Amino acid sequence: MSSRLLNQIGLFFAALVIVSPAILFFLWMISLSLKFEIDNGAYPPILIPERFAWSNYVKVFEENNFLLYLWNSVLVTGTATLLALLIGVPAGYGIARLKAEKSAVVIMIARMTPGLSYLIPLFLLFQWIGILGTLWPQIIIHLVVTVPIVVWVMIGYFETTPMELEEAANIDGASSWQVFRLVALPIAKPGIVVAFILSVIFSWNNFVFGVVLASRETRTLPVAVYNMLSYEQVSWGPLAAAALVVTLPVLVLTMFAQKQIVAGLTAGAVKGG
Amino acid sequence: MSTIAPERTGVTTKRSGATTQAIEESQSVRLAPNYWPFVVPALVVVSAVIVFPWAFTLWMSVNRWTLGQSRSFAGMENYLRLASDPRFWESLVHTLTYTSLSVAAPMLLGTVAALIFDARFPLRGLLRGVFVMPMMATPVAVALVWTMMFHPQLGVLNYLLSLVGIPAQEWIFNANTVIPSLVAVETWQWTPLVMLIVLGGLASVPREPFESAEIDGANAWQQFRYLTLPMIAPFLMIALIIRTIDALKSFDIIYAMTQGGPGTASETINIYLYNTAFSYYDIGYGSAMAVVFFIVIVALSFILLMLRQRSQWNDAEGK
Amino acid sequence: MASVTINNVQKAFGATKIIHDVSVDIADGEFVILVGPSGCGKSTLLRMIAGLETISGGKITIGERMVNNLRARDRNIAMVFQNYALYPHMTVADNMGFALKIKKADPADTAGRVRNAASILGLEKLLERYPRQLSGGQRQRVAMGRAIVRDPQVFLFDEPLSNLDAKLRVQMRGEIKALHQRLGTTTIYVTHDQIEAMTMADKIVVLHDGLVEQIGAPLDLYDQPANLFVAGFIGSPAMNFIAGRIEEGVFRSAGGLILPLPEGARPTDAAGRELVYGIRPEHIRATAQGMPGTVTLLEATGSEIFAKVDCAGEEIACLFRKRLPLKQGAAIGIEVDRACAHLFDAKTGRRM
Ligand SMILES: Nc1ncnc2c1ncn2[C@@H]1O[C@H](COP(=O)(O)OP(=O)(O)OP(=O)(O)O)[C@@H](O)[C@H]1O
Ligand SMILES: [Mg+2]
Repeated sequence: MSSRLLNQIGLFFAALVIVSPAILFFLWMISLSLKFEIDNGAYPPILIPERFAWSNYVKVFEENNFLLYLWNSVLVTGTATLLALLIGVPAGYGIARLKAEKSAVVIMIARMTPGLSYLIPLFLLFQWIGILGTLWPQIIIHLVVTVPIVVWVMIGYFETTPMELEEAANIDGASSWQVFRLVALPIAKPGIVVAFILSVIFSWNNFVFGVVLASRETRTLPVAVYNMLSYEQVSWGPLAAAALVVTLPVLVLTMFAQKQIVAGLTAGAVKGG
Repeated sequence: MSTIAPERTGVTTKRSGATTQAIEESQSVRLAPNYWPFVVPALVVVSAVIVFPWAFTLWMSVNRWTLGQSRSFAGMENYLRLASDPRFWESLVHTLTYTSLSVAAPMLLGTVAALIFDARFPLRGLLRGVFVMPMMATPVAVALVWTMMFHPQLGVLNYLLSLVGIPAQEWIFNANTVIPSLVAVETWQWTPLVMLIVLGGLASVPREPFESAEIDGANAWQQFRYLTLPMIAPFLMIALIIRTIDALKSFDIIYAMTQGGPGTASETINIYLYNTAFSYYDIGYGSAMAVVFFIVIVALSFILLMLRQRSQWNDAEGK
Repeated sequence: MASVTINNVQKAFGATKIIHDVSVDIADGEFVILVGPSGCGKSTLLRMIAGLETISGGKITIGERMVNNLRARDRNIAMVFQNYALYPHMTVADNMGFALKIKKADPADTAGRVRNAASILGLEKLLERYPRQLSGGQRQRVAMGRAIVRDPQVFLFDEPLSNLDAKLRVQMRGEIKALHQRLGTTTIYVTHDQIEAMTMADKIVVLHDGLVEQIGAPLDLYDQPANLFVAGFIGSPAMNFIAGRIEEGVFRSAGGLILPLPEGARPTDAAGRELVYGIRPEHIRATAQGMPGTVTLLEATGSEIFAKVDCAGEEIACLFRKRLPLKQGAAIGIEVDRACAHLFDAKTGRRM
């Protein structure tokens, strides 16, 4: 009994050690974002300052058009994810039922392709069509990330749902579309949630597409934060605060949807970009 | 669809026999539900945003084409230029160095972490949640904070080193240490993915062999070496492949932290490609680079996949 | 309700032929059971009737309609699957009303029919539950309810009882039979359990390797099996088979066991040919004057005694209804009932 307890405590500390880089990083990030310039420049460094610089956060939103960029991010990620679900969920279903797993090779190759090699041709295409000043180029190119994630996750889910249910629905008089909408889709709800979460996260985090395609008005948050960095006289406090604001939504999502994320990532082992 | 004359009236028997043949031809198409409409929209989108760029990149790569100037056919010129471009070869070396380090470290740490998280202990779920966070965090935000931590004068890392008596480093600001520093960030961020995949593998390992090995007197190391390791080998291979692809393609962290600097000390192919296409607008040459880069990735993945086929102990499971 | 005609039906998956040539006529309102060993193609045949598999050759008619190229949803049939295939995200009521909802039937009418079916099956209290909240037997009933509500032309069952425990299986057997008597809907039922087949069917179709071995009423199959396969398949414990030939007006096995010819068999019928003598364990009596043998195995269940008796090197299974003072290893005399014995041609397997 006591040896088992000892064992558990040992494991706990081993886990703590291996998790500590993550814990310390995020703690330091929070600390940076809450310190005034003097405290951030202090040596030895201060973890918990005497006065919290909440003004850093205020500054982020006041000075950098951050609300606009936040809204851009929401629009790009939201639209790209919804579009991906709209076309990717039925596609995952069709591929699973057609037993066309080979078409998943396309997705594998898409995953191997560096994001930049989509950027050059699509950049030219957007230029020709003349939509470069809008959010559409980013929404469309984010489909490169979101569609494969959704299709990949959904193939896995639909392959595990029993065929007999759909045969029963067929016999009950349902058309292919009704079978999908009334039987296959409701059962695959957990899979859709997984696909949605992963798609949101990887689209939200995407940087490379925005850095090329975004203009001053169409920046998404990651690009906006990066641009803050390249200003000369930027102070660390607001910068760290901005970084935290950008990544907070995903971190919260990660915490609440840990189970789905783990399921999705281990099943498909997907990652965007 | 129309009803066929009752076949028992002798006369028609022959003829209905003949029609059966015709019916058979059409039925496989008619009976099975048609799943193609479900796939078509995705097919269109994938062709437009994935397949079209592939094809277009290939075409661009055989053209002399700088944005804003006129385009002309160049044949293999861009590829030949690539072969004799020292900056490209240098970036290839950087890429391979960066990749091998950022595969090895997360693989090792991730496997260890998976073995720890496979056991039961207090607060396991919470700790695992925190452990996964770096992977989900926005890379640019992460890069920003790491840049501050790497700061030679004000950064917290040099302070921590000074506590244990190690002299201050220049981290990403020194050509000699920039790649290992970036690898540290990459490792910090992507070890969790390896952990999750291996953890999935460990969860699928059956208990009985371990019980019987226990009875046979195998110690913990032997159990790991002779049971666990071979059984999770397919999962390790998957993690290895995915990690390799991702490390090769790594862009956000490097670009946000160093843009390939100092000088070109951390310029990987991906960064050089970016600079060529979007700083110098030499899209013909950039496309050729993209093609070669893609071939490098596919070739490496393919080699690993071949290895995977061999390491498969339960190929039937097809995982 | 409708009759079903299966005419020279064949089925191949790729190059492998699963159903060779099957023809069965099923009358309106009949309860037909397809029975046979595992893998003989029962499910495949049923799924062809349902429209879930294409038909490679021949044709299937339901009522007056040739259904070969009719989709499952247009065939107006209902099917109960082995693991029920209940929609997990719908309540019992929604499960049962699904087909009507698809047809855009009047919701009030649907609700009425669901209630009606539920009362037939004793499901009234479970209508708002989800399948995961039901026991195996209840799920089975819901699956049947789903079929009943449809009021289809034909009911199809694929081993509906095989996931239930033995006791529940006997109960559900009775309920399905009663249901059929009440509704009178043509029913095609697949099982590999010959007790189910014997107790429920109006007509049994014995399938083996994609071919029909025999079609007939349960007792006809029991009394007059067409061939060795049916004889061995129907009846439990299985019929004894003894190889030998007719010599001098009696049947003589290779080991020298002598058995009386079945009633109606003439000594000249098959003189010299290789034959198989078939006699069911329950048609053997123990008498002191019978053939001498030794008891090698004894199993008493209370209602009957099952024994294996070694007679001249042949092991013969016997089933005695009387409580006999038998002992393992002891001597016994047995006598076969000539009226119930059969002779089969060893080569073709046909009964003579
Ligand atoms: N889709 C398929 N593709 C290829 N072969 C199949 C397919 N479906 C069934 N078979 C084969 O057809 C044969 C008959 O299968 P079927 O399911 O009809 O058997 P069954 O009589 O229902 O057996 P059981 O009692 O075990 O359910 C089997 O040998 C099976 O392997
Ligand atoms: Mg079957």
